[in-house]
Amino acid sequence: MVSNEPVLQIENLTVAYRQDGTWLEAVRDVSMSIHAGETYGLVGESGSGKTTLALAVMRYLGKNGSIRSGQVFLSGRDLLALSLAEVRQVWGKQIALVPQNPGSALNPTMRIGEQLAESLRHHLGLDPAAARGLANEWFDRVGMADSERVADSYPHQISGGMQQRVLIALALSTDPHLLILDEPTTNLDVTTQAVILERVRELIQLQNTAVLYVTHNLGVVAQVCDRVAVLYAGELVEEASTADLFTQPFHPYTAGLIESVPRLGDTKEFVRLQSIQGSIPALGELPSGCVFRPRCPLAVEICETRPPFFATGVSRKSRCHRWEEILSGAVDPRQGELPGPHGPTSMLQHSASPPRPPEDRTVEANANLRIAALDVHFPVRRPLIDVIRRSPPRAVRAVNRVDLEIAPGQTLGLVGESGSGKTTLARAVMGLVPRTGGEIELLSAPLPERLSQRDLATLRRLQMVFQNPDQAFNPHITIGEALGRTLIRMLGIERSQVKTYVAGLLEAVRLNAEYAGRYPGQLSGGELQRVAIARAFAASPELVICDEPVSSLDVSVQAAILNLIHDLQRQHRNSLLLISHDLAVVGYLADVIAVVYLGHLMEVAPASKLFEPPYHPYTEALLSAIPDVDPTRRGKPIHLVGDIPRPTNIPTGCPFHTRCPRFLGKICVDETPPWQTTPRTKNRIFCHIPVSELAAMQT
Amino acid sequence: MESFSVKSSQKRRLWTLALLAGLALLLPACAGSAPEATQPGEEVAIQAGEPSGLLRIAVQPIVNIDPAFISSDPEVLVASSVYDYLIDVTPQNTLEPRLAREWKVSEDGLTYVITLVENAGFHDGTRLTAEDVVWTFDRLREPGSGLPTENLYSNVASIEATGEFEVTFTLTEPNPFFPYDLSDNHALILRAGTEDANTFSNGSGPFRVVAYEPESRMELEANPDYFQEGKPRLANLEFIFFPDQNAQVEALRSGQVDLVMFLSTDLYNSLKDEPDLVPLEVATNGFDLVRLRSDRPPGDDPRVTQALRLATDREAIYQLVLQGYGAIGRDSPIGPMYTQYYSDETPLPERDLDAARQLLIDAGYTDGLDLVLHTPDTGNRPTLAVVLKEQWAEIGVNVEVVVEPESVYYADDGWLEVDLGITGWGSRPYPQFYLDTMLVCGAIWNESHFCDEEFDALAELAGRTMNEEERVDAYRQIQALLIERGLVIIPYFFAQLGAIRDDFQGFAMKPFPGRSDLAVVSKAGP
Amino acid sequence: MRWGVGAARSIQRLYKEPITAAGVFITFAFLLIAILGPVLAPYGANAIIASDARQPPSAAHWFGTDNLGRDVFSRVVLGAREILLLSGLGTLLAVVSGTFVGLLSGYRGGWLDEAIMRTFDSLLAMPALLLALLLLGTVGQSRNSILAVIVVVYTPIVARVVRSVVLSVKTKEFVEAARLQGETQARILFREILPSALPALAVEGALRFSYAIFLVASLGFLGVGVQPPSPNWGLMVKEARSFAVQIPWAMYFPAGAISVVVIGVNLAADGLRRLLQGES
Repeated sequence: MVSNEPVLQIENLTVAYRQDGTWLEAVRDVSMSIHAGETYGLVGESGSGKTTLALAVMRYLGKNGSIRSGQVFLSGRDLLALSLAEVRQVWGKQIALVPQNPGSALNPTMRIGEQLAESLRHHLGLDPAAARGLANEWFDRVGMADSERVADSYPHQISGGMQQRVLIALALSTDPHLLILDEPTTNLDVTTQAVILERVRELIQLQNTAVLYVTHNLGVVAQVCDRVAVLYAGELVEEASTADLFTQPFHPYTAGLIESVPRLGDTKEFVRLQSIQGSIPALGELPSGCVFRPRCPLAVEICETRPPFFATGVSRKSRCHRWEEILSGAVDPRQGELPGPHGPTSMLQHSASPPRPPEDRTVEANANLRIAALDVHFPVRRPLIDVIRRSPPRAVRAVNRVDLEIAPGQTLGLVGESGSGKTTLARAVMGLVPRTGGEIELLSAPLPERLSQRDLATLRRLQMVFQNPDQAFNPHITIGEALGRTLIRMLGIERSQVKTYVAGLLEAVRLNAEYAGRYPGQLSGGELQRVAIARAFAASPELVICDEPVSSLDVSVQAAILNLIHDLQRQHRNSLLLISHDLAVVGYLADVIAVVYLGHLMEVAPASKLFEPPYHPYTEALLSAIPDVDPTRRGKPIHLVGDIPRPTNIPTGCPFHTRCPRFLGKICVDETPPWQTTPRTKNRIFCHIPVSELAAMQT
Repeated sequence: MESFSVKSSQKRRLWTLALLAGLALLLPACAGSAPEATQPGEEVAIQAGEPSGLLRIAVQPIVNIDPAFISSDPEVLVASSVYDYLIDVTPQNTLEPRLAREWKVSEDGLTYVITLVENAGFHDGTRLTAEDVVWTFDRLREPGSGLPTENLYSNVASIEATGEFEVTFTLTEPNPFFPYDLSDNHALILRAGTEDANTFSNGSGPFRVVAYEPESRMELEANPDYFQEGKPRLANLEFIFFPDQNAQVEALRSGQVDLVMFLSTDLYNSLKDEPDLVPLEVATNGFDLVRLRSDRPPGDDPRVTQALRLATDREAIYQLVLQGYGAIGRDSPIGPMYTQYYSDETPLPERDLDAARQLLIDAGYTDGLDLVLHTPDTGNRPTLAVVLKEQWAEIGVNVEVVVEPESVYYADDGWLEVDLGITGWGSRPYPQFYLDTMLVCGAIWNESHFCDEEFDALAELAGRTMNEEERVDAYRQIQALLIERGLVIIPYFFAQLGAIRDDFQGFAMKPFPGRSDLAVVSKAGP
Repeated sequence: MRWGVGAARSIQRLYKEPITAAGVFITFAFLLIAILGPVLAPYGANAIIASDARQPPSAAHWFGTDNLGRDVFSRVVLGAREILLLSGLGTLLAVVSGTFVGLLSGYRGGWLDEAIMRTFDSLLAMPALLLALLLLGTVGQSRNSILAVIVVVYTPIVARVVRSVVLSVKTKEFVEAARLQGETQARILFREILPSALPALAVEGALRFSYAIFLVASLGFLGVGVQPPSPNWGLMVKEARSFAVQIPWAMYFPAGAISVVVIGVNLAADGLRRLLQGES
């Protein structure tokens, strides 16, 4: 249902920020229009300016931001001409914003119900009783379980998913003309995300709201948006309907982005992830001409002049000089020629050696790492009253009875949502966290529990790549010094040799040797992660643990990092424990995947086989929740009932039974499920339902 | 709305006025210790025998209460308000009767007969008789008691009550100054059989204690039964204790107290020109004494002490420290206040730095000498220490000054222990006291350990003979001897300085200010 | 190299903040005076010139003379050395000891941390001057004991500052990475964690310096730990009180010196804090 008059009309908008005395244009010459009932996706990586654009539309810029030129119309009204008082009237009522971090958007001192009711009283002029009634109605509409209790709670007492539902209710309850969603589900679990997205879609269809959806997640865009615009370094480079964009992008950047996202089912043997060379330019150092030129495989002479936003079809636009050639098929934006210092190379990284054939991945006799019945529980400090009452002590049971093995050269992927205990497991293996029970063996020798008990030889065998690359290095010493430290400590290299070896390490991760003199603050996230990987692989450890190695990186950089890990692993022939919440990432790199829920393993399967039934009901739900980067495949996610239980209060029997859509009955509550192995594919599934039944139900 | 608020503010005003009126009525009832307001029709002038007025005195905190142990000026001042002496000394250094109405001495100078007044009584109502006097002095001279007066009264053979109001003292040898000895600071008469002399509960003096908060204040009221008619003239007395002299002066300036004594010259100068204060100045024989112990190194070599004496510039000290008040000292305790005994015929040697340095070298201190100079923190003594340090530095003597609170300096006879110290000596009515307690070989307070046979002989003669001429001659020789080979430095005699508010009359500060008579002070006006 | 660029930028910033610039100027000026003391002072600290006693400020005596004829200007200049070096050294020692304790306590945690922090809490609960007097009463009064007192009084707060940085840094990935590489605890503390604490330490040290100066002056005013005729400013004020009416300059100049130095150092410390916080 799309009406004719656009709800939001932006024309040639330029927004600038003042930083250290100079004005930097974060958004340049952007034009777009959104109609009622339309969901318009704005895709960009970090630093693209998408949040700035969204806030500028609302006229909600900080003191150091200003709209330089252009116009913004809301339902025909010139927003930029309004006074501040008038703009305040618009906020909440005609434009609503659902921000990224729900926790900080809610007033921590007010109960939830009151916050929504207050907004309704203010914007709709209702009296208190009516406002309260309407608020309760909305809580039901956004699918809040137990809405009475939630209405009485304070924000910190409810989960992130519920908080976000409240914000959606807040935003939509005033029936705004335009709803702006700024990465609303980035911090949520994938299962929660799926449900919320579905709910939002229903509600906006009901109210015919125009929606501006700002995100970096291509999968979500494919599932939720009608039209998409791609923002790069402050400029719109392409605009099209979702279907058109994903079928055939008309801009090399769009093409690169789409190709760099691993899809479910892609594995490393058969697919090589594509990444975009180079990095997003800093705002003060924009290239002349086409802003994408330095990274573009199709760049030619004409690209030195800034391309206009060509109309390339019915409501399609592209800011590439060579769009016609792309349309006709004369050039493929995914495989151009990029002149580089080493001669013509492809923009896209090709692997140093061809993909390994499947037969090579036999499991060798002696596993590198063996974990048996591992428990990691953290005692919780009890308030005095509990001590007096002699209530049983509670513990955060982060990891429960986990059995795992990783063979030499093998990659084990550990997948779970936040709070599943996967990071704790990794830290227990690394010795950063004490074990409560179970054993760990490294190379058939028992691994001491604490880091302080391990000798240097053992430490050398076990290294880790962390989640936040910008915190993984001491900000006060150079990269070269940090790597040098590793070399001296772990490999006993002489000081005189260090420089050469450091250069070699940097090369191995495809960084220029002169990076050695830089401080961590001068490197981007992707570059830092490369150095971290170099550091981890430097001593050629038998096992490398990668904890969410790409979660904090931009999409275009993720692929390169994953490829790098893959290459180095093959080179050093070591084992890899890869931890992520992203099934597609894990599916791409891992040989074996283990699915974790509340510290318990739910399923362990070879990677290729995980994505086919039978699967554990939890795996099933996870798979259905992941947004597919194929707009033609818009599935319906499986809803999981309720919220994930707290790890201090893990349900008895099967820990998943409180939310399982295939809940059997009493047996799931009372008895621990058995481990069942599928005959052909060797999946191990932790469930009461016989495997054959699962296979039948799920196909 | 408006009229309501006007009414309420009116109401508030009424309540306030009522409250104020009530307070005003209550105030006179709270007046308490203030002197009664004169009724219209009565005479405004103070009638004799009708004590009135409050005098507030700022002093250092006192430690000793038992008269047998008092030593500091404030202690004497306080004690002599509550107790009484047999004989008192006037500001002119003459004797005047108190509890002793008259006294007679025998021809041979060995027997003294004291006749007491008959109407004196203690605060508890009992009459003061000869028994009390005997008991008091027996206590003071008890052998082995360690009291300072033990030495003083060592020449008393016996004391007897030879009548209800008559006491006879028999001496072992003649003592021409015996009446002065009877008027010693400690010789306050206690009731016979007093068990605990550490309270102010029972004296015979012009005031009695109402309240005492140690280290804070003491309140006294006039003794209505005081044996002398018309005394005291004040109705109330208050001692307020301040450890810091600056604070005392500020209190006087701000009207918090009325009388401050024992001032240093600088503090006195700052008060001299205040409009409603009367400056008090009296020449005394009090002095500060600098000594180096001669019983152990480095002072055991007399050349060292002589070097120090030669390096001292007394004129400069007199100008800098005393600023012209008092008199220059000549290293002897006999000062110009004792007009008949004082002699300046022997000149003091000039300041001679070379000779001093030579003496030190001769004594073996070729590289100079390090000394530590201890001094209490009161009066001019800290300044004197600093000046001496600079003067002696010129002959290579390196002095480290250590200033200590007075109570610490004098505690446990610590002041006698140190090698080099400055001690303050209060004024006495006759000089023999100093010779006997300070300079005679083995004397109780001989801080310099001076021991000279000739000196001892002269001192004994001067203290024993009833022949005044002999005495004068002996003192002359003593002064010459001390200039020649004495071991102490007495750079000056200070004046006692103080100030009192001008609505008080009759206050006469004595050379030993602790003995100033407070009973004759009156306050003009209500 | 990085520090050089930072220093140049900091000096540029000073132009924009006159008050901080004043503070920095005062601090350096007095430090210079302290170092050059004997060269700058026309007379000795204790030189008694009886004939010149009690003179108001004049060409011969810029700050006048006191009751003993000593030149007040010389005494103030030479007193700077005494007070600044004493408090400076004491502060330095306090910073070093506080850093050690803070690093260790924050990193180790557990009962050691608890025990140390509770002890420090009780020390911090007492006013500095009171604590100083208590300690001096027990330990005895000398220059060394004043140094010890400054260390005892100010170590707790420095330790607290360092500890809070340690707590926030020790969970960071790069510290864990160092542990995983088998770095010794000492190296982790000093090479990985301490650099993050340096900005806060520098600011705290500068602040403590100003407090230490005031503490030493206060002790001098009470006559504790210092003896005449030392040109300690606090002692000078105490001695001059007796004749404040006749020769007020003997009191105002040392008192003024105390105020100016304490305020100046404090302002400089504040500017330093804003500079470092701005950078990080």
